[in-house]
Amino acid sequence: MRALALLPTVLVAPMLIASPARAGELVVQLRTPSGGVVRNAVVTLYPAGRPAPQAPPQRTYQVSQKDIQFHPFVLIVPVGAQVAFPNFDDIRHHVYSFSPAKKFELKLYAREQNRTVKFDKAGAVPLGCNIHDQMTAFIKVVDTGLSALSDANGRAVFANVPDGPFIARIWHPYLRAPSNQMEMRWSSGVARQIQNVTLGLRTPPPVSSDY
Amino acid sequence: MAIGRTPHRTTWLLLFAALLAFAPASPARAELSDLFGPKAVAVTGDLRIVAADGEKSWTDAGFGKARFGGGDDLDWRLRPVATEAELIWQPRFSWTLSGTVVVAAQHEQQHPVDLIEAFISFKPLPDGGTHISGRAGLMWPQVSLEHEGANWQVADMITPSAINSWIGEEVKVVGVEATVAQDIGAAQLSGTLGVFGFNDTAGALLAFRGWAMHDLKATAFGKQQLSALDEEMWEYDQAPKTKPLIEIDDRPGFYGRLALRMAAPVTLSVNYYQNRGVPEAVTHALQWGWNTRFWNFGARIDIDEDTKILAQALTGTTEMGFENDEGVYWVETRFRSAYARLSHRLGAVTLSGRADRFGTRERGTWMQPGDSENGWAATFDADWKLSKHVNLLGEVLHIDSDRGTRVRTGVDPHQSQTVVQFAIRLGF
Repeated sequence: MRALALLPTVLVAPMLIASPARAGELVVQLRTPSGGVVRNAVVTLYPAGRPAPQAPPQRTYQVSQKDIQFHPFVLIVPVGAQVAFPNFDDIRHHVYSFSPAKKFELKLYAREQNRTVKFDKAGAVPLGCNIHDQMTAFIKVVDTGLSALSDANGRAVFANVPDGPFIARIWHPYLRAPSNQMEMRWSSGVARQIQNVTLGLRTPPPVSSDY
Repeated sequence: MAIGRTPHRTTWLLLFAALLAFAPASPARAELSDLFGPKAVAVTGDLRIVAADGEKSWTDAGFGKARFGGGDDLDWRLRPVATEAELIWQPRFSWTLSGTVVVAAQHEQQHPVDLIEAFISFKPLPDGGTHISGRAGLMWPQVSLEHEGANWQVADMITPSAINSWIGEEVKVVGVEATVAQDIGAAQLSGTLGVFGFNDTAGALLAFRGWAMHDLKATAFGKQQLSALDEEMWEYDQAPKTKPLIEIDDRPGFYGRLALRMAAPVTLSVNYYQNRGVPEAVTHALQWGWNTRFWNFGARIDIDEDTKILAQALTGTTEMGFENDEGVYWVETRFRSAYARLSHRLGAVTLSGRADRFGTRERGTWMQPGDSENGWAATFDADWKLSKHVNLLGEVLHIDSDRGTRVRTGVDPHQSQTVVQFAIRLGF
């Protein structure tokens, strides 16, 4: 009877031990319903039933202003990260966000390059410039060490992912979903695979043509 | 009889007053580069080769609806034209306060160089999702969906619609406006209210000439040619040129705008304009007050990042002169127009097509129902962005109209005309 009680543990244990050993690359391929690639999507992974690995804010991140644009358009930072906002333009910028994740404003004179902001709460932080309406960017503050940004080919690549199961959250500034985010559950063994995901996107709002 | 005042002193007084009013609210240092740096000053130019047939242009006192007309026999005429050069100054005084001053040399304008715009913009940081802004000075009310930028240039096309050609030539004000916009999720609702003067003659061109399609812009001090009804009228009743910016009756007008940008994104807007002009008011130089009011409805649909649809419909009325016993003014013109435009970007080239309909109904004692107008136009453009500073545009514009007033000068009331233009737009 005691041997029978131990049987499930014996059968499951090798799987639990084996899972971390099968770490590998996970590629998430993001496309629109018409087949176009989706860049600038943020994919975050949360191991189901386990705490997400945390990425310490080891370095200073950067959103620069050059040629009256923010660079990059989407930046992923871990909770607690310091982000620098160097202004490489010869004109001033008035950077702001009034998002719930971070409210701030920075008055940056021409070529002012030593200002930073700490982002201490997970969430999406849309950035704007009160002087130049065409300037838009987003900081995605994440609370997991497993995050990736989709590239020009619509691929978000995780280099070293333990096998799932995972809860995957995909965020894009123009995603047709509540809070611009969708969530899905991926079963174990997603590593070394390509996960294909289809995203419906809104057309970005037109740049203000006020005159 | 009132004596008209031109805006040359009042414009600057209003600008100065607005500057004093706004400046204390936003103390900050203005660096020299903010006032006179490379980003604060810009120069634009427009050079064209134009081929046109058809009747004499309204700019030459004809009834031709395009900026350029054909030869003596209405046949094709080809010419190079240095159409426009503009100097744009956009100083920044503080974090919330900036200015826009544009002076221009347009090919057909009265003075070699004239003031196009001169206004101060006030834009504090949004409070949550609430955006407040204001403008004061010499400016266009925001009616056109086709124009953009400090120099109020038509985007992707050479010639604006009939509606926005009229806005450009006659609906310019010296005034103050405030806008409040509220974010509602991914959507935004905004409202604008403006109070203005110096636009009492708005409607004169539209009534005497009818609708037109051109990119000439009203200037602060210049006059615009009116189409000839008869010589006697010009001598005794109405000046042969209208001055778009003049205060005749000392009654301010107002305008309002509501716009809803939906998440789709579809943007819908509605404007109401009322200059509260006194029809009987007239200056010694025979510039009359025109009681002009109109509604404008606009829609912009961004199908994707490269494709958009613009559409506007405008309907209004203007009255001028004295009433007879039946309460009919010398001129009572009801006017309406609509257009729909599709623009699609293919790499560096943007292709656009637009269809316009326009018409007027006359019921005054000078201009009677037989003087009314009906017309349509089709316009096709290609805008090739050669570099950051140079655009090459090509346009074919065809206009077809019936206008009873043409009979007064012995011209067939039905006219059609085609204009082919190639433009180089420069911006530095």
